[in-house]
Amino acid sequence: MEFPDAAELEWLEANATYPDDDDDLEFEDDFFQQPPSPPSEPRSEQIAYQPDPKPSLSLPPKPSLPKPQLQINGRKRFLPDDPESSDDRNAVVITEEKRSRVERSEQEDNDEDWLRYSPPKQPEEEPMVVEKEQEEKILAKYALEIDGDCTPVTGLDGERVYAKICRVENEMVKKLDVTQYSTGLIQEPVRMLMQRVEHDQFTRALEASSEDVNEANLPIGTVVNEQLWVDKYAPSSFTELLSDEQTNRQVLMWLKQWDSCVFGVEIKSTTDDVLSSLKRHSLAVQHPRRSSRSSFGNSREPRIDNEKAHNDLHPENSDSDRIKDLWDKKHRKGGPPEQKILLLCGPPGLGKTTLAHVAAQHCGYRVVEINASDDRSSSSIEAKIHDVVQMNSVNADSKPKCLVVDEIDGALNDGKGAVEVILKLVSAERKLRAGKENEPEGGNAGQKSSKRHQKASLLRPVICICNDLYAPALRPLRQVAKVHIFVQPTVSRVVNRLKYICNRERVKTNSLALTALAEYTDCDIRSCLNTLQFLNKKKETLNVLELSSQVVGRKDATRSAFDIWKEILQKRKVKQTKKSFNCFSSMSNDFETLHSLISHRGDYDLIFDGIHENILQLHYTDPVMQKTVKCSDILGCSDIFHQYTMRTQHLSLQVYQSPLAMSIHGLVAQIGKPNIEWPKSFQRYRTMSVEKKEILHSWKNKIPPCISRHLSTKSFVEDLISPFLHILSPSTLKPVALHLLSEKEKADLSQLVNTMVAYATTYKNIKSDPSLVMRHGASDASTLSLDPPIGEFVNFKGYDSCHLVLASAVKVFLVHEAEKQKIMQGSSNLHSPPTGAERQGVLSCENSSTLSKASASSDKSIHFRDPSRQKQYDLPSASSQKRSGGGTTASGKMGLPERKKKPFVDSRSFFDRFRKPSDKATQDKDNAKPGQKLEERDSRPLLFKFNEGYTNAVKRPVRIREFLK
Amino acid sequence: MLWVDKYRPKTLDKVIVHQDVAQNLQKLVSEGDCPHLLFYGPSGSGKKTLIMALLRQIFGPSADKVKVENKIWKVDVSFSLNFFFFSFRMQAGTRTIDVELTTLSSTHHVELNPSDAGFQDRYVVQEIIKEMAKNRPIDTKGKKGFKVLVLNEVDKLSREAQHSLRRTMEKYSASCRLILCSNSSSKVTEAVRSRCLNVRINAPMEEEIVNVLEFIAKKEGLQIPQGFAARIAEKSNRNLRRAVLTFEACRVQQYPFTNNQAIPPMDWEQYVSEIASDIMKEQSPKRLFEVRGKLYELLTNCIPPEIILKRLLFELLKKLDSELKHEVSNWAAHYEHRMRLGQKSIFHLEAFVAKFMSIYKSFLVSTFG
Repeated sequence: MEFPDAAELEWLEANATYPDDDDDLEFEDDFFQQPPSPPSEPRSEQIAYQPDPKPSLSLPPKPSLPKPQLQINGRKRFLPDDPESSDDRNAVVITEEKRSRVERSEQEDNDEDWLRYSPPKQPEEEPMVVEKEQEEKILAKYALEIDGDCTPVTGLDGERVYAKICRVENEMVKKLDVTQYSTGLIQEPVRMLMQRVEHDQFTRALEASSEDVNEANLPIGTVVNEQLWVDKYAPSSFTELLSDEQTNRQVLMWLKQWDSCVFGVEIKSTTDDVLSSLKRHSLAVQHPRRSSRSSFGNSREPRIDNEKAHNDLHPENSDSDRIKDLWDKKHRKGGPPEQKILLLCGPPGLGKTTLAHVAAQHCGYRVVEINASDDRSSSSIEAKIHDVVQMNSVNADSKPKCLVVDEIDGALNDGKGAVEVILKLVSAERKLRAGKENEPEGGNAGQKSSKRHQKASLLRPVICICNDLYAPALRPLRQVAKVHIFVQPTVSRVVNRLKYICNRERVKTNSLALTALAEYTDCDIRSCLNTLQFLNKKKETLNVLELSSQVVGRKDATRSAFDIWKEILQKRKVKQTKKSFNCFSSMSNDFETLHSLISHRGDYDLIFDGIHENILQLHYTDPVMQKTVKCSDILGCSDIFHQYTMRTQHLSLQVYQSPLAMSIHGLVAQIGKPNIEWPKSFQRYRTMSVEKKEILHSWKNKIPPCISRHLSTKSFVEDLISPFLHILSPSTLKPVALHLLSEKEKADLSQLVNTMVAYATTYKNIKSDPSLVMRHGASDASTLSLDPPIGEFVNFKGYDSCHLVLASAVKVFLVHEAEKQKIMQGSSNLHSPPTGAERQGVLSCENSSTLSKASASSDKSIHFRDPSRQKQYDLPSASSQKRSGGGTTASGKMGLPERKKKPFVDSRSFFDRFRKPSDKATQDKDNAKPGQKLEERDSRPLLFKFNEGYTNAVKRPVRIREFLK
Repeated sequence: MLWVDKYRPKTLDKVIVHQDVAQNLQKLVSEGDCPHLLFYGPSGSGKKTLIMALLRQIFGPSADKVKVENKIWKVDVSFSLNFFFFSFRMQAGTRTIDVELTTLSSTHHVELNPSDAGFQDRYVVQEIIKEMAKNRPIDTKGKKGFKVLVLNEVDKLSREAQHSLRRTMEKYSASCRLILCSNSSSKVTEAVRSRCLNVRINAPMEEEIVNVLEFIAKKEGLQIPQGFAARIAEKSNRNLRRAVLTFEACRVQQYPFTNNQAIPPMDWEQYVSEIASDIMKEQSPKRLFEVRGKLYELLTNCIPPEIILKRLLFELLKKLDSELKHEVSNWAAHYEHRMRLGQKSIFHLEAFVAKFMSIYKSFLVSTFG
């Protein structure tokens, strides 16, 4: 065999680089300039030869064009076409290149593998003519050298080699229809054919570059500037949105409501004939092409056009929407929509951000996005929002701005800042609108003028995006915003989209695998695309069976507590089990999913509270309540677990909480949708019991220590309250005038008052509480009820306690008596706790006098304090007057307050101390000559005697009880 | 003033119910000193009364002059991550915890309830009690060279707190005596128990209660018909406090007592028995849900869950076939145990009800088809 000469080798070298470039446009330029690819390049993949499957183009003999070259371990060889072997490649005998075969042997497996199934597809492959001769070793001078299919290639000078048919990258599948061309001479000159091919490629490339510049140079060796598919295929127009049609339209509708405010134009409702024609048209439109992009500001009509095309998917929805839309327009001319904030929420990867951007652009806004990566302190965000929302843009494009606050629930503190600012704007707007109501608003001019006044109002749409609607920071926002919850798009939509993209990227997939992928990622199209792209890079194909191992990572998303409860209490539909999975794997799959779901959330306390709250509402078959028992055992178990981990701080033990939840899933999960409620009752119980404990505690503190020391708060509720309520409301107590009561009744009454005082209870006016009114059966606006609300402790729901309730007249009287009693004790308690006997004595005293008198005296005793205090204040001046005026003031009036308040007076001011003695001196004189004052004194029920002598005698503490006698 | 307080014996020799215990105590302190004491017994049996009488015996009437103090103690705790969920201020390695505690003190003794501090009880014991125990009473010119600390509800103290208590008991025994008071000795650790003289105050027998009631009636000048006191005693569950209170309530409601006079029940017990009859009527998750609501009601009103469980068991047993009684009691004990281990008592109460329903239902099914 002869070897090619040096020139030919060189030529080949140059040629060898050609496929790397793969850009047909640059073919001619690059032809001789590209350096040869380094021989040691580890690209071990085979070759490549790209045939033209189109019979008419019959390409293979390409005398004018690149010679297929052979590179083996750095040696490039040109194998000249062997005349004898040209007609029958099988006849070509391999006599040399043993080495090449050795080298190749390891690859042959792969090749064969591939060849086994690829040939049948060859005929119907698309007419793509891309020549790739990137690899060595596969070319041989003799067909025998090549395992499997090969194709003959004829060089410029008529030499012929055989090239193995292989695939290069995943990009393009090269096919070679050997049988077709083996014999192959054609009428048309090869140059012509080549030109035609070239032309074809050129137009295609043009097309591709018009769509996406990057796409053109995608395939090989351009790893660096490859774009993420997610970005590359992000929908750029409304029609391409993948999210739920309904949501899309509602968002768009909401944005459109701003039009009159922002653009100052009325929205023209589409006329009927336009609509019908659009409908007709939309039937023809099969797939919205992404090339239908155009500048947004001016061309709103074509959008609507496309939009209508989509309406066919949900005719009834869109119809009703349209009606609503029109209605809205009619009723809200000129003003922005009712809810000025739009809150989009949903799990990640469904296209919320995309929707916001696309919809806003679609409506002619320029999108200003604030996301979690920006500075989100309250002040900076405020400035930003003000900029966006209130200023008319001065920029060149003069498009109004639309604010998109992404990831508003992101970090709690930061998110809160943003939420607060937005709320402030909204509330300012509310106020303004309330004031503005009278103003006739309509038309453009009015709107503009009002714009000038309203500094803080919201004039541009604001779209907030969050993942967790129930994040605490968002609670206030939820109330004012229009909320849209994203739901997962249907699997088929996602799969269609994925297929479309795969086609564009020329990835081989089948829809089964794509469906599995979509289901696996919960229709998160972002993660689907990332996965596909990654696999593509790895040159793997999506494999249905090994999906879970192939897909690189699962989404590590925490779901809201509601989702988790739903997952636990609801059984997944078992449709995928029937497909390719066997039962066992689906079960373990289910297990995995649930486990990761629960443990990602982590808040086991809450999860179990939720389960506990909702579990009894489920409808599961449970004849002898075995399941219920098991579930409640599990709940108890989790509680013990929780307590233990918290006490010992072995937080790693928390791991075992999620299996507990899963076992509940196994027991009671039903297919029907559970009606899940947030666990409120436990929290309510907790707060209520704390409240009540507080009541008890303060009550206990009020009770004098000699009694309360014997009681614990526990014994209060256990033993005391019920009988105590009975004791407090004796049936014998009649609401009659006091002097009509018998002695015995009076004794009872005094006993009762005594008890009330001892236990620090009294009646108090309470504003009519619905529950109280119910209980008392009275409809008074305000009722007297026990002051520490003891009655509440026996007021169980659905329980009728048989406690008597006193008439309110009696209550009033009791309050009165109790007050009196308290004052009497006031002085005695200061120093020594009164014994029961002592107090009895007091009471008997009191009872002997008429009760009316007693009450009168008690009144007085109350009054004493105030006037006495007043007197205290002007005492010095009075005494000085006395001295000058010759002692006119009555000692009786003076003495009492003086005595009572002596310690006060003494301590109050330094000078008082010096005055006292002189004061006393004057009083002594007064005392010495009793005048008409004595009568005055006698008319009062009180008597006192003044002790002559040193002032110490006066300072003796005196009990008020003694005055009351 | 209620009769309970009015006729509470003030001194050891006036005690009616536990006369033997009172005599022993009297002998014990006759020397002027006493060991640490642990009083235990069910509520309403007279522990506090005895303790107060004992204090009076030791210190004389000045022990009765008590004042209440509600003070916030600042406790420095060396920093450890054992408890991370309450508010504290970080200080280089230590943090300061505010512990609010109500004390009742006379010149000679301090009463406090360390379990009020909840999970901070450890610090109460470690810091506050130690502080109190360390300081000898200033007023030592008299005879008593020690002060007394009365700790209530020791059984509610956490294990850690009890452990820190035992060293205090030894170290400061020169200046301080501890009187512990608890409902059940089983919840007091072995170590603490062995350092004390244990005084068991059992619930008074019904005859004793009748004696007390008759004594009160005599003092009040009331006529009680034969057997009425016995009925009250029977209803009172051998709880003297409750008996006296009920007696007074009866007196208030209707004085000339009649033999068949209605004795007002405890409201919560009445409610529990309603729950019990609910349970007996129907056994289903739905009914369990209703029962849960009622249990919440009880818990909300500060009825301790253990007592609810006990009472519920009692009510259920009344209506139950005798062959099931054993099993049901067993389960009640089981769930009470779990309730102690856990935190959310409602879970365990409900679990007990569910278990009972299950047992009862399967019993019904097996007997009646």
